[in-house]
Order: sequence, then structure tokens, then C-alpha cells
Amino acid sequence: MRDLPTGLDLLALARRLLLDEILPLLPEERRPDLRLAATSMAIAAREAANGEAPLAEIGAMLEELYGEPADPARLAGDLRKGAFETSGSRETAARAILWRLTILKLREGNPQFLAAHGIE
Amino acid sequence: MTDFSNLKRFLAAETGARSVDIATLALLEGGAIQQNWGVGATFSGGTLDGEQRLVVRTDAPTAVAASLTRIEEFAVLRAVHAVGARVPEPLFSCDDPGVLGAPFFVMRRLPGHATGRVITRDPGLEPHLPRLAAELGHELARVQRVRLPHRGLEFLPPDRGARGQIAGFRTYLDRHPVPRPVLEWAMRWAETHVPEPLPIVLCHRDFRTGNYLVDGAELSGVLDWEFAGWGDPDEDIGWFCCKGWRFARLDREAGGIAARDDFYRGYEAGSGRRLDPDRVRFWEIMANIRWAIVAMMQSDRFILGGEQSLARAITARRATECEFELLWLLDQDERPG
Repeated sequence: MRDLPTGLDLLALARRLLLDEILPLLPEERRPDLRLAATSMAIAAREAANGEAPLAEIGAMLEELYGEPADPARLAGDLRKGAFETSGSRETAARAILWRLTILKLREGNPQFLAAHGIE
Repeated sequence: MTDFSNLKRFLAAETGARSVDIATLALLEGGAIQQNWGVGATFSGGTLDGEQRLVVRTDAPTAVAASLTRIEEFAVLRAVHAVGARVPEPLFSCDDPGVLGAPFFVMRRLPGHATGRVITRDPGLEPHLPRLAAELGHELARVQRVRLPHRGLEFLPPDRGARGQIAGFRTYLDRHPVPRPVLEWAMRWAETHVPEPLPIVLCHRDFRTGNYLVDGAELSGVLDWEFAGWGDPDEDIGWFCCKGWRFARLDREAGGIAARDDFYRGYEAGSGRRLDPDRVRFWEIMANIRWAIVAMMQSDRFILGGEQSLARAITARRATECEFELLWLLDQDERPG
């Protein structure tokens, strides 16, 4: 049992405080540093909110591809060898995992980049 | 650099000046790998008699393995300056670490700024950007006049080719704790689509927005030659157009400043060689792979080395942007959205 507000709420408030109230007080040359700190806080907040869900989703896709539990390292090794190049359906499934993995990471790391490509 | 006296003595000896007075000395922005000191000096007599704006370039505390030494970079700068490329004029080099604490070289300081976010967003610069892109293409063609064999650049290692680069990336990934299936998939594509070779040229290997100076609306000079080496003439084209270097304008495919045609036009006029879109695409794929690896290496300084720098630590996140771009370029039929 933890107290309220949650740590994520506090993190969000702290970030707004930095951007709305502290940033204007800083000399121009230090503002990028503060924006970087705010970006880092936003990444941490999105990752914490999602928990293990993205990993579980990729894990399920990998299990479907391999017919058994597998991790991204196995996929990476197989892609290096071109393991799926003779099987159209598995190759398509592997590419679907790559897209999904990348989009899930960017949703946490840089959603603006995804938005610039028309993806939410 | 707190003691001016060694630098003054060095400059006086190199120029034959009776005395050198240093009025200003300040660390310039940028230079994650090197330190650039802006120097305002007055020479009494000698080859640089009068007031001079110079840059002293030394190694920063943390070096990157792939980069040249300052003495080697000085030699590269001399070679490209000699073919007429717009670069800071290289003046003197010193490999004695006793003078400033590390080897260094001295070049003229060019006017302008290199800030990518400003260059790609400045409304006043907007009408000049297509011309600027063409001039950059022309400059790149001029740089590529430096070819093998070249006296003075014997220290540069032979070109490893795309397959050699991929082998290096894989070696790196094998030692890294985080698997990168997208990079593996893209490298597999690349190693099976290597284009027919062209004659080897000098590559800048970081030729991009952020590494050239703009003064008003004019191209002032191309900076940062520490990654230069022999390679394919389209490697720098692909790097310049890579999405990772478009800053505020992802839609402008030539360095965030213009359409590809503007940049290509300048390059083709300068080189007399028509660009092959398939070859450029190949090297753009390679650029995205390489930028992803370089971004990961930056963060390694925190992950593996414990260096307490937020700016470096966060850079690995950009590797995922490169991976997205690789999927975007190589798997156009399955693009989401």
C-alpha cells in the first residue's frame, strides 16, 4: 500500500513544473538540458505506466512464430542468418514482429516521431 | 586550457611572430569527441601578422575508437583544402602532448553557425536553402577529388566496403546486452544487396546538417573531419539524406533543408556523375544502420562506462528511430497507419 498521489502523478507534476515555470527562468543555452531532462521523465513515465505489457505482447508473437517460448535474441540471430527467407508466411510473421516491436518502443520513447509518420 | 603561455609560444614559433597576444579563448559548442577552442589573437610580425580568429582543436577527455587522431585529421583537412573544398584553412599541428596536454591542430575560424535545429527552421534562410543544398552537393563532389593513392594520407586504412562495415556492426552487437532484431534484418538485406563498386574516394563519414557552417545565407565551410576515410562515393550522399539528420524538417529529404533534387543537382554538376537512386538508397540503408550503432555506442558510455551524461545516455533511444526508418524504407508494402 503506497500513499497517493502516485509516483507517476508526482513525476508528471514535476515535469510540468520544470517546463512551465523553471524553463523560462533559465538562460537560453541551458534550456536544451532541461528539455532533455523533461523528455527523460516522460519516457520513464510512459514505460512505468505500460509495465511489462509490451514485452508480453512481443513474447506472445514470438511464441506464435516459433511454436514455443522465444526471446528477441533468438529472432535477432535467426534474422542474421536469413532463417525465414524460404518461408513466406514465417517471413511475414517475423516482419510483423519487427514493426510491432519498433512501434511499441517508439510509443514509449518518442511518440512524436511516430505521429510524424501518421501512427499513434 | 588555462595556461596561454605555451600556446602563445607555439604560435609565435610556427609563424615567426615577435609576440602573440591572446585576447579571447573560449570553448566552442559541439565537439562531443573533440574540444574546439575559439582563439582571438593578435600577432606582431610573422606569417599571420595582425588580428586573427583561430580554432585550436584538441582531443576531448573521451575519444571514440573510430575517429582519427588530431594529427591525422589535420592531414585530411590539408588534403581537402588543397582541392579547393570550403573548409577551415588548416594552419599548424602539434603532436607534442607537453604543449597543451594533448595533440592538437590550429585552423582558421570561419564565420557562421552549424546548429541543425536553427538551420532547418530559420524563416530567413528558407528561400536560400535549395541553393545551399546544391552548394553542399557541389562541395561533396569537390571533396571526392581526393582519391587513392594520395601522398600524406597513407595512414588511412583501406576501405572495408559495405560488407566489412556490416561485419564490424555485427561484432559490436554480439557484445551488446540488448538484441536488435530490426538491425539484424536490415543488415541481412544490405549484405545481399551490395551494389557494384565504384572507384574509391575520400568520404567525410559525417557529412550532414549540423556539420557545416552557415553565415547569413552562405555556406561558410564543412567541419568535423575526424571520421574521414576511403569509401564509396555514395556513402556520404546516403548519410546526408538519412532521416536522422533532418532535424526539424523530416519531410525535406536532403539534410532537412531541401528536396533531394537540389542536393543531387549540385553533386552531379560538380562530379560529372549521374546518381543512381538504387545505389543512394542502399547507402541510406547503411546510414541508418550505422547511425543506430553510433547512437548505441554513445549510450554505452553510460551503460557500460558509467559516464554520468544524460545527453549521451539518452542517445541510444534514437537507434529505434533508425530501426523504424529501416522498416519504412525496406518494407513499404507493410507500412502501418
